[in-house]
Amino acid sequence: MAGPATDSPVTVIFDGKAATTSRAQVRGDDVWLMLDELPSATAWELKPEGVCRGETCVPLSPSQKAAVLGDEKTPNWFNVSEFARLIEEPVAIDQQERVWYFGPPGWEWKSRSAGNAAPDFTAPDLAGEQHSLRELRGKKMLLLFWASW
Amino acid sequence: MTIAADAGGRDVVEPWIQAASPSHLTLLDPELAVASLYNVRNVPSAFWIDESRRIVRANDPIYVLRRDRATGETSRNETYLNAVRDWVANGSSSKFVADEAALEKRMPPASFSDMEAMASFELGVYLIRRGAPTSAERHFDRARQLAPDNWTFRRQAWSLSGATQETIIRAIRDPAAPAFYPELDLGD
Repeated sequence: MAGPATDSPVTVIFDGKAATTSRAQVRGDDVWLMLDELPSATAWELKPEGVCRGETCVPLSPSQKAAVLGDEKTPNWFNVSEFARLIEEPVAIDQQERVWYFGPPGWEWKSRSAGNAAPDFTAPDLAGEQHSLRELRGKKMLLLFWASW
Repeated sequence: MTIAADAGGRDVVEPWIQAASPSHLTLLDPELAVASLYNVRNVPSAFWIDESRRIVRANDPIYVLRRDRATGETSRNETYLNAVRDWVANGSSSKFVADEAALEKRMPPASFSDMEAMASFELGVYLIRRGAPTSAERHFDRARQLAPDNWTFRRQAWSLSGATQETIIRAIRDPAAPAFYPELDLGD
């Protein structure tokens, strides 16, 4: 794993955003990215306190560190798939197309049906203007999901 | 408020919204992310949310217009509309406000396999958009295996892959298939 990868490009999708890189390594079903590409591809970055995204930091135990960062032979690599397992993200993989899709971390999807509070969301109208459920507090609402098909 | 849980996005849903020219908010959900958040398993599906943002009815399968199979005539679904009117007038004391057990049943917490189904479905949609429909089918199949009762995923996948009417009807009528819609239980 030393040195830049020569494999064909890999696409990783985090938060619905796809990033394609030719500097990735595939080992079995796991995808490794270089540390310098981690923030742009996943919005996560390695800091002294752990793996962080905005205000959220996931500290790594020594054994987790060994699994996510590999050993001294792989100083600049990060096992994105191992990290996803650690934070309970659902994953879907297409080896043929070389695409890795990562869903939300466990603490996000586990809180979705907590109590009967309506989960907040933000979505655009036809004009592209964003609206969130939060704005409509204080009114009764009938929320209807539909589709054209 | 309506939410178009449709991967076709604006191009596909805009004519429908224009034709209805509604006065309420009409939002777009091309990744079906909001639909997944609310555990929507088929459309149409309706929720009642009260002033303090609590869900008081969840995932009701409603068509406001109903078609009589025998006569072919359409009529408004007055039973459901009356329930809505009752809730508007009586709030939390309306008899149509669901109890916790009913809510839990209609909107159970997401499981890891639900989330894996969603990841597979989203990967399938991404691959369709990238021009790899054959690869997409593998992930739509996995989503179906993981969440067999999620008709939203299945119907959207059929729409994207151009499935024939015959294929769709056969799948829906399959006696082994999970219910297409839950019962609309208004407790009367």
